[in-house]
Amino acid sequence: MAAVIPAEERIASRLDPRAQLGSLWRHPILRAALKAALTVLAATTITFTLIRLLPGNPIDLRIEELTRDGSVSYESAREQVSALYAIGLDEPLPQQYATYLWNILHGDLGTSFLSRGVPVMGIILAVLPWTLFAVGTGLLLSFVVGIGLGLVAAYKRGSFFDQAVSTIGSIISSVPNYLIAILIVLVLGVQLRWVPITQMRGAFSPGIQPGFSLEFIGDVLFHAALPISVFFLTQIGHWILSMRNATLASLEDDHVLAARARGLSDRRITTAYVGRNAVLPLVTQLAISVGFIVGGAVIIEQIFVYQGVGQRLVRAVAQRDYPVMQGILLLVTISVVVANLVADLLYSRLDPRIGRAGDA
Amino acid sequence: MSVLLSVRDLAIEYGSRRGPVQAVRGVSFDLEQGETVAVIGESGSGKTTLAIGLIRLNPRSARVTRGEILFADERGTENVLDMDAETLRRFRWQRAAMVFQSALNSFNPVIDVWAQFLDTARAHGMDDARAVKRRARELLDLVHLDPDRVLRAYPHQLSGGMKQRALIALSLLLGPRLLILDEPTTALDILTQRQVIDLLRDLRRQLGFSMIFISHDLSLAAELADRVLTMYAGRIVEEARVADLFYRPRHPYSVGLLRAVPRVSGELGALASIPGSPPDLVSPPSGCAYHPRCPFAIDRCRIEDPPLGPVDSPGHAAACLRWQAVAEAVGTREPAKAL
Amino acid sequence: MSTIAVIARRPVGLIGLIGVGSFVALAYLGPLVIPLTNTVDIANIYRTPSLAYPLGTDFQGRDVLNQIVYGGRDILSVAFLAAFFSTAVAVTFGSLAATLGGKLDVAILAITDVVLTVPHFIVLVVVAAIFRPEGFLVLALLLASLQWAGLLRQVRAQILSLKEREYVEAARSLDLGLFHIIFREMLPNMASYVAIHFIFAMTGTVYAQVGLIVLGLIPLSGANWGSMLYLAQSQGALYFSDSFWYIFSPILAISLFQLSLVALSAGLEDVFNPRLRAS
Repeated sequence: MAAVIPAEERIASRLDPRAQLGSLWRHPILRAALKAALTVLAATTITFTLIRLLPGNPIDLRIEELTRDGSVSYESAREQVSALYAIGLDEPLPQQYATYLWNILHGDLGTSFLSRGVPVMGIILAVLPWTLFAVGTGLLLSFVVGIGLGLVAAYKRGSFFDQAVSTIGSIISSVPNYLIAILIVLVLGVQLRWVPITQMRGAFSPGIQPGFSLEFIGDVLFHAALPISVFFLTQIGHWILSMRNATLASLEDDHVLAARARGLSDRRITTAYVGRNAVLPLVTQLAISVGFIVGGAVIIEQIFVYQGVGQRLVRAVAQRDYPVMQGILLLVTISVVVANLVADLLYSRLDPRIGRAGDA
Repeated sequence: MSVLLSVRDLAIEYGSRRGPVQAVRGVSFDLEQGETVAVIGESGSGKTTLAIGLIRLNPRSARVTRGEILFADERGTENVLDMDAETLRRFRWQRAAMVFQSALNSFNPVIDVWAQFLDTARAHGMDDARAVKRRARELLDLVHLDPDRVLRAYPHQLSGGMKQRALIALSLLLGPRLLILDEPTTALDILTQRQVIDLLRDLRRQLGFSMIFISHDLSLAAELADRVLTMYAGRIVEEARVADLFYRPRHPYSVGLLRAVPRVSGELGALASIPGSPPDLVSPPSGCAYHPRCPFAIDRCRIEDPPLGPVDSPGHAAACLRWQAVAEAVGTREPAKAL
Repeated sequence: MSTIAVIARRPVGLIGLIGVGSFVALAYLGPLVIPLTNTVDIANIYRTPSLAYPLGTDFQGRDVLNQIVYGGRDILSVAFLAAFFSTAVAVTFGSLAATLGGKLDVAILAITDVVLTVPHFIVLVVVAAIFRPEGFLVLALLLASLQWAGLLRQVRAQILSLKEREYVEAARSLDLGLFHIIFREMLPNMASYVAIHFIFAMTGTVYAQVGLIVLGLIPLSGANWGSMLYLAQSQGALYFSDSFWYIFSPILAISLFQLSLVALSAGLEDVFNPRLRAS
């Protein structure tokens, strides 16, 4: 029997802010959102540090550059750089940080070095969707196909199919993804000429009207086919092996034997009893993969001349366009954080053991 | 009284690196309609392999090398071992239901309890969800659970005892004539054990099914069983009505088991246990498998492997050459005092 | 089951060991044995493989095989160093977080989560672009600065689960002290784990390193596998059909090295984790 808590104590605990915050923390969705916000905050702090604080940082360098030949005064140099980076340089450091955050929240990431006056945010938003599209499609395709193959491989454990699929999968996923991209260009494009690589450059063919027409969508897919294929190939091995292991473990579960004792059909057991339990840990890995693939996209887009955010980053690096570089880092991090958030939410819906209110 | 289940000379072995493990070495017994039989033995005696084997749920590495399992209810008589995959699938749960030791893990953790009831019903052709719901609620009431709460819940939201009772309700969903229970009370606390035992007794009275349960817990046999089979090294070594087993055991192993149960009343004695360890089932001992640990063993025991033979009460059999010596030593008093 | 028997049953580990060993020998011993041939010979551009040039020549007529032999040392050295740093940090702070718990654990976990979420390669690109790191040590530190996060989580998880095991409880009840528990009881069980993750850290480092080199962000002197690809890229040799062997050789070298590492770690997993062995 629980001890009787006096009424005043119960009421007091309900009004206590710390207890309220504690209960907030327990709610899984809010907790995930809070974590996401904190991570973005940390990422902005990191970029701020890189851009402003570390020795040899671009802001100081730029000011020095501008004032070196004497044509620009120190104050106006500071003004210019201030506007370029969306950081108020006259203010004390903490306030610079605050202004920086404030600007970011309003979508102001500064303006590009090279293209004077063009806001960084606009530049990035023009190319980011293409990358997210290719990465997302490749990831989802590899996930779906991978878990299918992994499930079958587990059921046919030890068979030729299993050994072949597992070995091939693990070989392909060990090779760095950008090397596979180079190989595709090298072998399929140049040597064998099976793939028209020059025609596939760019996000879509010049001259085609963007819009929701079948023609445009087909064209987009044509151009994105190579990056998507690389993302697909380099990830699929991981999903196959993970799902295979997860399924093998799931097959040992007691409830699977109990389900067979109840006369459930093999198909029902495979999908709802074995499969659903096996997939769960893989969903958490989905989000982690996004960050990794986006990193590889930097080189891969360069190789296929695909106008996504990766290629834009390489260009910014070549042109020393630091505001664009910083902006890309921030926006890509935010994209990954959002992807993580979505994956967390998806997981909490799939696994009833996580974050249900009113447990027994 | 008609016979529901008839097992004839069943032998099951499974593969291991050292050679085939003979887990069940020629088991025969009959189960009447409405009867409850307890299969008692220590770990490694083969009792779980036997139980699982009755519905052919052994893992792939296991093989039935000989024997028959004849099941006879209103639908007819057939040999379970001859059933094809589809018939077997329908046989399971509909005519014979098995409840496992770990009821705690018998439910799929990611779907709710109602879905699992419905899955079971659908697998056996009951597609009318409303009818199934009604029946599920009846059964949950019967096991003293709140149907609304349980059906909506996920397994992790129920306590161990609740899950066990829900599983028992589920097992009765299709009205099977035979209920097989593997260690039904082992993982539960004392109070819940009492509830489950009383529940099983009640249900049996109301619905009239037969039960086979496997346990190492003799008190459970005393509470629920009509007859007891003692199993050792893959064989049945004694078969008796429950009173006969407890008061007039005739096999040294049964005696050992009874003696090993500490007494709650009376003087404090030393804890008795059977010396030695269970035999190696890849190469069992020659002659009687129990002879290395048996206080009654003589030279003949090392050579001859006695079959189950009748002893001094009707319906009572023991696989022992020296059963008369055992009878003398035990007398008609409680075995713990006699030895 | 003897270790040899296990490895022999699935020769993956053996293949991995031979592979890694060969590459280490090639990278460190090769240059001692084979002299560097750096002579530019314009007449010899992009020759196909022959006896004199087993892997052909590059865009300046230099022997490709020679470049492969000399091209591994820098990459492997940085990989070893970086993997060492990240493993050391991960094991240290992971064990501390797991054993001491409390606020320290929360703080370490929070930092780790942030580092894990941020896209590593992009951070590396931006940092390399801004600060132009030079030298093995700086490069290794840079690469390790993000890599420790993944391993730390796993070290921490492993120790948390070990904490519950009986032999730790036994040690505790014998009052054997925190140090003893960590070093004599838990870490020996972690040795396999740490070895496998060291190997994985190396694959990650090679990936990041070569990636940065291909983008032209790391000024490592002398030819290495990565810079061969960078030069091919910047020269446009990628689209040249004659330059196939020049580009394919470093790709093959890097890929085979990565594969050997993965095979070796799979073999180690078999030895240390009997549950995964096929029955």
